[in-house]
Amino acid sequence: MRSDYFRLNRIAAALLLVGAAQASAEVLHVYNWSDYIAEETVARFEAQSGIKVVYDVYDSNEVLEAKLLAGSSGYDLIFPTARPFADRHIRAGIYQPLDRNTLTHYQNLDTAILNSLADIDPGNQYLVPYMWGTTGIGYNVAKVKAILGEEMPLDSWRLVFDPQIVAQLAGCGVTLMDDATEVLVAARAYLGQPTDDFSNTAVAEAAAVVSQVRPQLRYFHSSQYINDLANGDTCVAQGYSGDILQARDRALEADNGVEIAYAVPSEGAVVWTDVMAIPADAPNPSAAHQFIDYLLQPEVIAEISNYVAYANANAVATELVDEEIRNDAGIYPPAETRAKLRVLNTPTDKQTRAMNRAWTRVKTGQ
Amino acid sequence: MTTSRPFKPRPFKLQSFKPQPSRQTPEREPLVRIDNVSKRFGDFCALDAISLQIHQGEFFSLLGASGCGKTTLLRILAGFETPSSGRVYIDGVDVTDLPPYLRPVNMMFQSYALFPHMSVADNIAFGLKQQRMPKAERTERVAEMLALVQIEALATRRPHQLSGGQRQRVALARALAKHPKILLLDEPLGALDKKLREQTQFELVNIQERLDTTFIIVTHDQQEAMTMSSRIALMNKGRIEQVDPPRHLYEFPATRYAADFIGLVNLFEGHVVDQVDDQLLVHSDALQGALWVHHSHPLVVGMPVTVALRPEKIQVLSVLEAGQPNQFRGQIREIAYLGDMSIYHVELPSGKRVQFTQANAQALIEQPLTWNDEVILGWQANSCGVLLA
Amino acid sequence: MSRRWPSLLPSGRALIIGVPWLWLGLFFLLPFLFVLKISLSEPVLAQPPYLDLLREIEDGLVTIVINLGSYQLLGEDPLYRNALFSSLEIAAVATLCCLLLGYPMAYAIARAPSHWRLPLLMLIILPFWTSFLIRVYAWIGILKGNGLLNNFLLWLGVIDQPLVIMHTPIAVYIGIVYSYLPFVVLPLYATLVRLDLALLEAAADLGCPPWRQFLLITLPLSLPGVLAGGMLVFIPVMGEFVIPDLLGGPDTLMLGKLLWIEFFNNKDWPVASSLAAVLLLVLIVPFVLLRHFERKAEQGR
Repeated sequence: MRSDYFRLNRIAAALLLVGAAQASAEVLHVYNWSDYIAEETVARFEAQSGIKVVYDVYDSNEVLEAKLLAGSSGYDLIFPTARPFADRHIRAGIYQPLDRNTLTHYQNLDTAILNSLADIDPGNQYLVPYMWGTTGIGYNVAKVKAILGEEMPLDSWRLVFDPQIVAQLAGCGVTLMDDATEVLVAARAYLGQPTDDFSNTAVAEAAAVVSQVRPQLRYFHSSQYINDLANGDTCVAQGYSGDILQARDRALEADNGVEIAYAVPSEGAVVWTDVMAIPADAPNPSAAHQFIDYLLQPEVIAEISNYVAYANANAVATELVDEEIRNDAGIYPPAETRAKLRVLNTPTDKQTRAMNRAWTRVKTGQ
Repeated sequence: MTTSRPFKPRPFKLQSFKPQPSRQTPEREPLVRIDNVSKRFGDFCALDAISLQIHQGEFFSLLGASGCGKTTLLRILAGFETPSSGRVYIDGVDVTDLPPYLRPVNMMFQSYALFPHMSVADNIAFGLKQQRMPKAERTERVAEMLALVQIEALATRRPHQLSGGQRQRVALARALAKHPKILLLDEPLGALDKKLREQTQFELVNIQERLDTTFIIVTHDQQEAMTMSSRIALMNKGRIEQVDPPRHLYEFPATRYAADFIGLVNLFEGHVVDQVDDQLLVHSDALQGALWVHHSHPLVVGMPVTVALRPEKIQVLSVLEAGQPNQFRGQIREIAYLGDMSIYHVELPSGKRVQFTQANAQALIEQPLTWNDEVILGWQANSCGVLLA
Repeated sequence: MSRRWPSLLPSGRALIIGVPWLWLGLFFLLPFLFVLKISLSEPVLAQPPYLDLLREIEDGLVTIVINLGSYQLLGEDPLYRNALFSSLEIAAVATLCCLLLGYPMAYAIARAPSHWRLPLLMLIILPFWTSFLIRVYAWIGILKGNGLLNNFLLWLGVIDQPLVIMHTPIAVYIGIVYSYLPFVVLPLYATLVRLDLALLEAAADLGCPPWRQFLLITLPLSLPGVLAGGMLVFIPVMGEFVIPDLLGGPDTLMLGKLLWIEFFNNKDWPVASSLAAVLLLVLIVPFVLLRHFERKAEQGR
């Protein structure tokens, strides 16, 4: 689950791709996150299959969902986050079931991940897992240690929710994501309470945690922290694993003396999976199947993981992924970290709305 | 063929018959003294060393063709322009560098410049509010002004709800409301149609007489200037050609330009042949002979001069009268019938054309003149004048 | 034959009047009716995510189900009222700032020598040639903690700690005023350049010093431009989303943002639609006022 608002250059590149692909007879319309595929993948698929790919990108699940719900999106293949989005879409009946016979590389998928999706997609009829990651904490190692001391364990939600600690870090800059579910679930984990409770009281308790630290926070944003962490403008950010690793790499590239680390909080963190699905009204589902099957090849998906720095859902591919990525605890967490991860249950629509409105109220200090 | 109606001086109680002894008294300080004022806009010289004195109670006209500098001079008096050199005194005070809002003059604009967002009464009260006149007095003054220009019924109207003539009255009332020492009027009647214009001319004169305010008016219309003014300054190319009361300006133009600008005139180029007492004998090639002209100042024989003769001073003679000067033969070539009178164009043997006018009432009694008639034209020596410039 | 045709065809006059009405009907009224319809329906998890108002119960029996819940929510939950007031406040303050800044600019251009006016106007319009989004993004680079402004002030020694401007209401105001300033300058310029300078001379002639000429003549006569410019800022800022989203902080609460949340995060199209309908209602009032004022100004001309 990634959010990159208005990444103009990427969108422009995608538009160029659209322009190049117009002439051919068979066309596949793909709608994926921005910056979420290797550079060569689409071109190689086109060369191999003879299908022209029209490749559009989005930067939030909400934008994708709005297009799908409005109907006639015209896309053949989409990449939503499994929970709560794909879950809802299956229940809304806007996907078509996969033709498993055409997916010759399906057996490469990690069965553990397939099983984790079974409760929202019984029998794995609709969804093919693509990449997965976690939501945790990114921090500026030197500055945070200077403020909190060497002793303080940094793999904790206390860094963003404990009023005393946040007050200490405030001058340096603490940020939370602008996402009701992510923040409120993290706050529940911080409180040591069950993260699948979306009742009004549970939401109110979580909201109270955020309200307490709100005055000390720099901002709520779901992508701004990448730059700000990398530049040293902020010290601690709640964020997606891949985004924080991106901030780490940018700081390394800039050689500005900023060292960023990613931690999965010990109180528990959300693990999320992005999946592939074919909309019910897809104009060309057979081409979509071909593209899915292409991405199921271990060498193809490994190359993508190398490029985007996210773990893929392909069991066979893991050993093909660059060692550097494969051994990064932030991307492929070790077993003891995995034990702390939990999936995000889908709240009901009513709960989602109540949560979002509560969130807006907390955020704006109403 | 001339089709426009030439100027005919109308005896009119307000102009030259006005008693003006006080204005002519030399020891009295003039109300306005323009002292050697020049104005240049870049390379263009709008005013060239103008000096002028205007007295209390005068109805003074700045007359001239467009671009002659008359409006610039008026704007200098109002304070909208600063002279490049020279000084302006009002009531003995040097106002050359005074901004418009501190001068004891008010102006009526050619476009009227009424404030569109204010009622007629508010327009008139505007200047009074600026001088912080108490409300009661102000209301009274506005009423007085509305009555003066006879638009009492229009007090609450907005300018866009008024006719052109009504707007002109509002503009006049607004400019007079502060009881200025001097009222400047920039082509005040220019936007009105001909009939309304003539009617308003008399009204303006009446108002001026009643208030005894000094009016300085800019106009390009010689008839308007002649009808209303006590004195006219005729301007040409940034200079003053002549300053005189209307009758004097007409009867005794000082320059060719002045003679030509006002009314119709016949001009004869020539040179002085002889001078006897106050009579000059001038030879003119156009007349193929000499003519006698009244002139009181001595001139050198041989000096080139121009003789000006108004068309209405020429008489048609049935026969040559022996012993009388200034008689010439010619043939009628054109006749312009103007209703009350006609203009005849007579060709002299030299080919020079001379215009004369005759009242049609008179023409009916006598034998009517017609095309190609041979006529003898004659005039008195004191009917024409000598122009030196 | 040919004589009968004209009576069947609309007259030229009706055509000319009809085209704008058709345009308005097709691109304003019709979409608004859709929005109104959605605002009265119920949200569901489906495609599209709301129930149709017309429902066939059993053969031939059609009922209309109207759900006023969305409007009820807007009335009951203080969040929406606060967002409305906050939007009104931000729009009003931003409009005022735009006018205070734009008026002298428009005035200076209108009074500049005529050969200077076009280049000066071009300078006002020039930023439009760059994408709005990029220009707002540029402000992030200027205002952020180690951005251009802070670095410059630090270098000057005016401040020793970076100013926190980014993600504050001040940043939102800067962004809005910057983005909408041309919309104020242009109509103001149009009215100021038309102002008859003889009116100012007349006022001066009647004893009015320059500053009072401005107050009594220029300002009242430029009110239509002030109003037009003000509306051109106020109306879009009321629904502004991008600038507060990019430059604003968490406590910037505006209707545009709420609308986004309802539509995208909550998938609650009915509430989003009812918000849009209420916003329109709030905006139509000043617009009608503007028309009224314009009509008065037309009469004045």
